[in-house]
Amino acid sequence: MSSLFTQIAKQFMFSQTLTAGLEIIINKVLTLKSAFFSFDKLAHKTLTIALSELDFPLSFTVVPTKESRFNTMNVLVTSLTAHTDCTITTSIKTLIELQTQKKLTELIKQDKLDVTGDIKVAQQFASLAETLNIDWQSELATHIGDIPTHKLTQLGKKVSDKFHFTAQQIKADASEYLVHEQRVVVTKSQIELFNQAVADIDAQTQTLEARIARLSEHLPQ
Amino acid sequence: MSASDHNKPTNSPQESAENTTHFGYQTIDKEDKVSMVAGVFHSVAKQYDIMNDLMSFGIHRLWKRFTIDASGVRPGNKVLDLAGGTGDLTAKFSQLVGKSGQVVLADINSSMLNVGRDKLRDKGLVQNIDYIQANAQYLPFEDNTFDIVTIAFGLRNVTDKDMALRSIYRVLKPGGRLLVLEFSKPEHELLNKAYDFYSFNILPKMGELVAKDGDSYKYLAESIRMHPDQETLKTMLDNAGFEQTSFKNLTGGVVALHKGYKF
Repeated sequence: MSSLFTQIAKQFMFSQTLTAGLEIIINKVLTLKSAFFSFDKLAHKTLTIALSELDFPLSFTVVPTKESRFNTMNVLVTSLTAHTDCTITTSIKTLIELQTQKKLTELIKQDKLDVTGDIKVAQQFASLAETLNIDWQSELATHIGDIPTHKLTQLGKKVSDKFHFTAQQIKADASEYLVHEQRVVVTKSQIELFNQAVADIDAQTQTLEARIARLSEHLPQ
Repeated sequence: MSASDHNKPTNSPQESAENTTHFGYQTIDKEDKVSMVAGVFHSVAKQYDIMNDLMSFGIHRLWKRFTIDASGVRPGNKVLDLAGGTGDLTAKFSQLVGKSGQVVLADINSSMLNVGRDKLRDKGLVQNIDYIQANAQYLPFEDNTFDIVTIAFGLRNVTDKDMALRSIYRVLKPGGRLLVLEFSKPEHELLNKAYDFYSFNILPKMGELVAKDGDSYKYLAESIRMHPDQETLKTMLDNAGFEQTSFKNLTGGVVALHKGYKF
C-alpha cells in the first residue's frame, strides 16, 4: 500500500508540488514581513529538513534578489541534497513545535530531532520562522479560497488523526504481544523439534506398514 | 491507428538519406531546418511562457523543478542551460550556484534569448548569467567547461541530435552530467490516445487563439511524435559517450528526463 502511494506520489511529482507550494507561500509572506528580519547572515545558506513522514528532503536556500529598489531575499525550496549547511532530521509533529531558538535546544535535548552541520544556521532559520509567524491557513485561503482551504484543512486533520490512531493501535498491539503473547508463542527451535518428531513418526509408521504387509503375505489364505 | 499516425512519414531510403531531416512530419533538407525552426520560435517567443502554462496546465513548472532536483547542482558550479529559451531553468540555477558559480543561457534563437534576458533582468538576476546565441551542434566553449548541461524541450528541434550530444559531451567536465528534459512517448495506450487527440485537435487551436499561430503549434505536436522514444534517446546518449545513462518518465511518459555522466 505504501509502495503504491509512493508510486502515485512520484508519478504526480508530489515532492515538486509541495516544494513549489511552500516556496510561493514563504516568499509571499517574506515580501510582507522581511523588513522585520535581517537576512545578511542567512544569505546563500541552506537548511535541509528530513522528515520521517516524507521520503524526500526539503531544502531551504536563502538567496538575495534585486527585484525592487531594495535588496530583498528569496527562499528557494528544493529537494536537492548535494549541498547543505545544516540538516535537521525530525517528524512533522516535532517540526510544528519548533517555533523558537529556545525550543530548538529543548527538542535536541529531548532527542526529538537530530541536527548535523552548522547549528547556527538552524537557529537562524528558526528565528526567521519565528519572525514570519506564517498563518498557513489564511495564506492558503488567498490562493485557493476559504471553502477549499477549510475542506483541505479538515481532510488534513482527519488524515493526521487517522495516522496517529493507527500508530497508537500498532503500538498498543505490539505492547500486548510483548507482554502476554510472547510467553506462550513457540520458538523456532521448538517448531524444528516438533517437525523432526513428526518426520520420525512418519518414518516409523511407514516401516511398520511395510512389516505388516510382509507378514500378511506369509499368513495362510 | 491514432490521429497522429495518419500523416506520419515512414522512413524510406530517400528520407533517411544523410542530407534530409524532419521538420514535424515534413521531410526537408538538413540545411533548411535551422531557419524553419527559427521561424517557429521567432513567431511564438513573446507568448512562449503563457502558452507553456496553458498547454501543460502549469505542469511544465513541476517538470523543470524535477530537473533542478535531479541535477545535484551546488554553489560554485558552472551550468549551461542549452536551448534555454525564456530562462526558467537559468533563473533557478543562477540562485543555486551563487556568486562563485556561473550559468550560461544559450539558445540558437535571438528572439527567445531576448525574451529570456529581459525576464531574468526584471527578476534582478544579473550577477552570474551570461547569454550566448549558439547552435547545440557547434558549442562555442572549450573542452571540459561545465559541471552541468541541461537542454529542456530543445533537443527535438536540433537538426543533428547525435552531433549535438557529442558537442555537449565535449564541453562537460569529467564528472559532469547532462540532463535532457523532453517530450516522449506515454507509457499507456489510453493516455497516448488522449494525448494525441489533445495535441492534434486542441493544441493548434489554442496556439491560434493565444499566439495567433496555429501552424507553429501543429509543428510542436508533430515534432514531439518524430522525437526518439525513451529507450532510443538513452541509446543515443550511450553512443555519444555518456555513462550511467538513465531516464525517468514524468506524467505517464508524456515527458522524460534523461541523465548521463561524463567520466
